[in-house]
Amino acid sequence: MKLEAMAVTLPEVAGHPNRAPFTGVLTLVDEPSTKPPSGARGHRVILTRRAALSALPSLLGMAVDYAPSWDGHDSRRKCGIITHADVEGSRLLVAGYLFAKDFPEVERQVRQGVPGTMGMSWELADAHVEDMRAEIWTLTRATFTGAAILLREKAAYRNTSFELAAARCRSTMTRLAPAECVQAGATGHSRDRARVAFPKRPLRKEQTWNHQQAKTWSR
Amino acid sequence: MESPTGENMVALTESMERMESRLEAAAALVERAATLLEERESSMSGEVRKIVAAVETSREAELQKKLDAAEQQIAELRAEIETKPEAQPETHAPSARRTVPASTAQFLAKQGLSTLESVEAGALDAALNGLSLEQRIAVKAQLLRAGVVS
Repeated sequence: MKLEAMAVTLPEVAGHPNRAPFTGVLTLVDEPSTKPPSGARGHRVILTRRAALSALPSLLGMAVDYAPSWDGHDSRRKCGIITHADVEGSRLLVAGYLFAKDFPEVERQVRQGVPGTMGMSWELADAHVEDMRAEIWTLTRATFTGAAILLREKAAYRNTSFELAAARCRSTMTRLAPAECVQAGATGHSRDRARVAFPKRPLRKEQTWNHQQAKTWSR
Repeated sequence: MESPTGENMVALTESMERMESRLEAAAALVERAATLLEERESSMSGEVRKIVAAVETSREAELQKKLDAAEQQIAELRAEIETKPEAQPETHAPSARRTVPASTAQFLAKQGLSTLESVEAGALDAALNGLSLEQRIAVKAQLLRAGVVS
């Protein structure tokens, strides 16, 4: 399995009341979206792996937002920040912090809602479409300008997810990487760090998870 | 009289010249085809300013429909204007001048502004000096509407 990772390292702050680490599947690469995204004029889209990898640096430091109806983006409700982005297989994984103290309603929705119901959505700017007349648009170049937490059924990609870490008030980097890697303001591009950031799920657990997601989707 | 070898040479030269001209024509065709293909490729690809990986909500779809209808209407109106250029001068005719309310005219007359054909800014400000700010604004707005000041 090929893994490409990139991260912004933030200083450790033990017991930070406003940081709730999250992980999520933002999108799938080299796979067509389940539904046409907004702004794609009714076309489903494929974000190529190459385009996604090229755009990874633009994703770091971008905000995650939410809409009160959990069905789209609201760029004026930025409730968190993305600090890690990896492409693992066909999944573009992200991790970061939710501003849990400022946005308790988001934490409540994610923690108290039915597991597996929340997903993610990207926002792209200046996307280059290979052939505008194609039934499925292939995006060969783009810039990530943000992401949103929303109901999975409202996401253009079915297999996205959003999860908060079990324990709050802990630094994602401390949880995920050796302390010596944590440097304020530095950026890293490390395969090893990404491996600990996004540990591989056991195969059986993965299958169960996928099955649950498929069931939720079919509902 | 030319020798058989000389005739052959002439024929060969003519044949080569014909071939050269045909090759030139073919090269020109290939160049044209390449240009057309490049143009076609560039017209097929395109940039999209913003895409969001969330499904369009019904409200967005409704707004998009309204926007499309409005754009179509604008295009139709533009086309209509372009096809009737003689109608334009009528549309650009100056609006009729309105009259100043009697109370305002009386007040200005008391202040020495009996004629309202052309009022100087300085004289108007001096005439309105005794009024409150709101009243000054109201009078000036009336004069503006009447076309006395601009």
